[in-house]
Amino acid sequence: MPSPETHTHEPGRRRALALVVNSIVGLFSAATTGLLGLFAVRPARGAEQERWIRAGSLGELTANVPIPRVLAVPRSDGWYRARSRETVFLVWNGARDVKVLSATCTHLGCQVLWDSTAKQFKCPCHGGVYSATGDVVAGPPPRGLQIIDARIDGADDTVLVRV
Amino acid sequence: MPSLKDRVIDWLDARTRHRTIKHVLLDEEIPAGTGWLFTLGSVLLALITIQLLTGAFLTLYYAPTPDHAYESVRYISSTSAGRMVRGLHHFGASFLVVFLVLHLLRVVVFGSYRPPRELTWLSGLALLGLVLAFALTGYLLPWDQRAYWATVVTINISRLSPGIGDLIAGVLQGGATIGALTLTRWYSAHVIFLPALLVLLIVAHVVLMRLQGSSGPWRAKTGKPFPFYPYQAFRDTVVVTAVLLAVVALAWRGMPPLEGPADPTDANYIPRPEWYFLGLFQLLKYFPGKWEVVGAIILPGVAAAFLALLPWIDRGRSRDPRQRPLIMSLVTAGLLAVVVLTTLGWRDRPVNAPADQWSMREIGGRAIAGYSGCAKCHSPNGLADPLESVALQRGAEWVAGHAVDPEMLAPGLREPPTARSEREIAAIVAYVRRATRHTYPGYPKEIETAATVWARYCVGCHIIDGDGGKDGPELSKAGEKHDLEKLKTWIIDPEAVNPDAEMPAFGDRLSPEQLDAIATYLANRK
Repeated sequence: MPSPETHTHEPGRRRALALVVNSIVGLFSAATTGLLGLFAVRPARGAEQERWIRAGSLGELTANVPIPRVLAVPRSDGWYRARSRETVFLVWNGARDVKVLSATCTHLGCQVLWDSTAKQFKCPCHGGVYSATGDVVAGPPPRGLQIIDARIDGADDTVLVRV
Repeated sequence: MPSLKDRVIDWLDARTRHRTIKHVLLDEEIPAGTGWLFTLGSVLLALITIQLLTGAFLTLYYAPTPDHAYESVRYISSTSAGRMVRGLHHFGASFLVVFLVLHLLRVVVFGSYRPPRELTWLSGLALLGLVLAFALTGYLLPWDQRAYWATVVTINISRLSPGIGDLIAGVLQGGATIGALTLTRWYSAHVIFLPALLVLLIVAHVVLMRLQGSSGPWRAKTGKPFPFYPYQAFRDTVVVTAVLLAVVALAWRGMPPLEGPADPTDANYIPRPEWYFLGLFQLLKYFPGKWEVVGAIILPGVAAAFLALLPWIDRGRSRDPRQRPLIMSLVTAGLLAVVVLTTLGWRDRPVNAPADQWSMREIGGRAIAGYSGCAKCHSPNGLADPLESVALQRGAEWVAGHAVDPEMLAPGLREPPTARSEREIAAIVAYVRRATRHTYPGYPKEIETAATVWARYCVGCHIIDGDGGKDGPELSKAGEKHDLEKLKTWIIDPEAVNPDAEMPAFGDRLSPEQLDAIATYLANRK
């Protein structure tokens, strides 16, 4: 086996060959990293279609008392199509206006519960507390409960929610 | 003339160099005075081997999709061998965390991270992070309630990282919501990427340790170094055996937990993380609003950075802990904080009704399932498994649809029909959830009747033993305030007793036996 020293008399050729080997290896590594990185990172997100879903009717609501409703929202998650079940609270002002609050705590995403004695929403995870209108009263949540677009369908007083 | 055996061994050695390999592996020189505390690394190696083996075999049955993950884990737990393998994997993970911390403390107390062992220390810290990543990705896989909510919180915490939060959360989550794409990517992280990294890092950690040699006691003892095999190897074997026996005993005795299937809308579920994340869980409660990032990212980050920089912070000459008071008190304070936070987090866990006692809703659900005709198909010789042995993996909404239209077995294909009564469905769901884990103990007829009434009507507004609605007063101790007759008149027509009563009258809706049963039951609650 020739030792590396036997080639030191042609340093230019040695450097050039090393350059070719290193660049080709580097190029392949970069291309593989790029492709696989993109494949792993790119969040698969189809354009979600806007839908209005029935969440209840005015007859079922009590003025100023949040009433929970579970919505079955058709969602596609990559290849997987399912109805994702999401809880919202309907707060009716007694007239022709319904405020719809998401039940998802804005802190870290647990589901808040309505405490009818304290008249507050409470999060069972890290102790967040919200008022009946969804504003933060105490605990770690950074902002109030998310308000979801809603409208009342005039014909039969149905509450429709945009998802 | 050497014997035939020697000649065969010589022949092999000339080709495999096995004598050299054996010498390198086993004849490492250990400093005099090295003792039992230096066995913790070997304990970790043994525990990790158990995790790799049991984990590899769990993939024979596990299916990483939202439709099947929970079912496949239940299936694994249905045989005694499966329970044992899953138990070893589950409890082994807890042991791994405990012994990692012990190993780290040993290294800190002995000042073993001092030059030239900085890189050994850093690779060890990286291994600690890796094991926590294993723990996190691993407990999503059963796709039960705890798994689902722990993942929700984890992904939301990662969203807080300054600048790159959304990118990290997007990569962790995969799809638009936590679902099929999250499950497959956490699965491949848990079984392919993390194990590959783990093996690489362990090799690096052990090679570095061998290159620098064992650090030995903090004050060099006089005496000759001794070979690893069989002296230190004996200590290793004793401690490893004891620890592995403890894991086996736990896996033998204790069933690894599997809660109800993941259900994003189950309002009665109170999420709590695995015990080794309880400290972090508790910490998050103290930082409101925009300070959230402090508890979630900055404090844990500062602690990690402090540990990583220890070899450069602690630069004294002696490794004796008595001469490093600052470092020792900082580490003790940190350890104390973790213990206190974990204890506080532990104490803040929901109080559940005793597991062997069925709730009124569950008892009522059984009767409701009885008169709803479920047994037409769900019977030993019927089209479907009896309710006691079906595996409930769908949410209430599916069961509601299924109860009205039993052929609707594939949810999502068409709009589910409206439920007959949400409360009846909730009771059936509660019953099936309970029945698949515990056999029905048998309650008197009157209690069953009372429970049916309770589950159909009362539970909407009243609470007993922590279950029910909050619009009306709690009734766990109704008998203390009211006697039987008063309760009966009240239930028949509340407005006759109190004109301002908000509760509807039930006189028309209940049969005389039902009224007797529920009133008697409530009167006896003291």
